Amino acid sequence: MATIIGGLGTSHVPSIGVALDRGLRDTPDWKPFFDGYEVGKEWMREAKPDVAVVIFNDHGNSFFLDRVPTFAVGVAETYKPVDEGWGPRAIAPFEGAVDLSWHLVDKLVERHFDPLVCREIDVDHGLQVPMELFFGRPEAWPVKVVPIWVNTIQYPIPTPQRCWDMGRVLRETIESFPGDERVVILGTGGLSHQLQGARAGFINREADMAWLDGIANDPEHYRNMTREDYVEQFGSEGAELIMWLVMRGAMDPKVKLIHKHYHAPASMTGAGMVVLENEG
Amino acid sequence: MTDSSRIPDTPLFDRAGSIRGYKLNKMAMALGDPANRDAFRENEEAFLDRFGLSAEEKAAVMSRDWHEMVRLGGNLFFILKISAVDPVPITQIGAAQAGMDHAEFLAQRLGKV
Ligand SMILES: [Fe+2]
Repeated sequence: MATIIGGLGTSHVPSIGVALDRGLRDTPDWKPFFDGYEVGKEWMREAKPDVAVVIFNDHGNSFFLDRVPTFAVGVAETYKPVDEGWGPRAIAPFEGAVDLSWHLVDKLVERHFDPLVCREIDVDHGLQVPMELFFGRPEAWPVKVVPIWVNTIQYPIPTPQRCWDMGRVLRETIESFPGDERVVILGTGGLSHQLQGARAGFINREADMAWLDGIANDPEHYRNMTREDYVEQFGSEGAELIMWLVMRGAMDPKVKLIHKHYHAPASMTGAGMVVLENEG
Repeated sequence: MTDSSRIPDTPLFDRAGSIRGYKLNKMAMALGDPANRDAFRENEEAFLDRFGLSAEEKAAVMSRDWHEMVRLGGNLFFILKISAVDPVPITQIGAAQAGMDHAEFLAQRLGKV
């Protein structure tokens, strides 16, 4: 069976990619942010995963409003970085872990999740940026990916409880996969931010800090919150934090919080990460 | 979860917004294609007409009125692509949402000095 070697939570703010593209890593605005990820990168180097399952949302790049899947799973052999309007980015395409993806689709449907299954699709910053944060800018990515898209743009978005339950199925999927792959799970998005309405620019540092500990040590609290609670505490776009629950739901009830990092603002967003390991 | 009025000043992109902003967002989505970006640059109004935008929507786009675009159902993730063609920092778009001056927005909302 394949093994879950860690669960990571991270922001996927597009400006992070832009900062890397423009060589701004060591500028005063960005250095503290990127420096804090070094321990995460090092953890990743040592963990030597074969596959990264990345849970993220599309931001009007691969999906338009003509069809909005609540959950989608990629089963492609390759995922190209999508042109979000600023032209193609100089990062390598992502190779799909096709067999594990299909196994996930089988398991999800068996467990009464019914995702959209995507055979040919590009990926936006939601997947790109987390990969860059933990793997840098290699010529070729050292892992294959299983992308899971969660709709967090058009309401109704899924409930936190549903995201958690999907994580349970993800765990079952990995543990029943006939292979010896080492799998990391990346729940992405957040932290607090709001881009629209008169409350735009809302950042809740206190709630963000509490989240980074709580997602490790008190996940039940966040699992039980409503979508309204998320919007209220983390902002309308910060509600995408529900995607970390897919990761957390796949981990043990008790986990070790190996690393955490927080920086605000990254662009208009509270940003950061956690690295979790099962107590085993 | 469709009553966006419960949390003050926090519109949620729900059924009403999605329907209201459909054409505007579809136009903006098209800017992911370089050929469309060229067409937009070349003759913006003709490009907007291709998507059947109303006079009100066209005026909002052409004056880069980010607050108005959102009021008309524009979703930030789509309309942001306009700022890829005609560069504007996202914080300035944020300031427009908040109804604040850019410097004031950076200081008060984002805590930047
Ligand atoms: Fe996002």
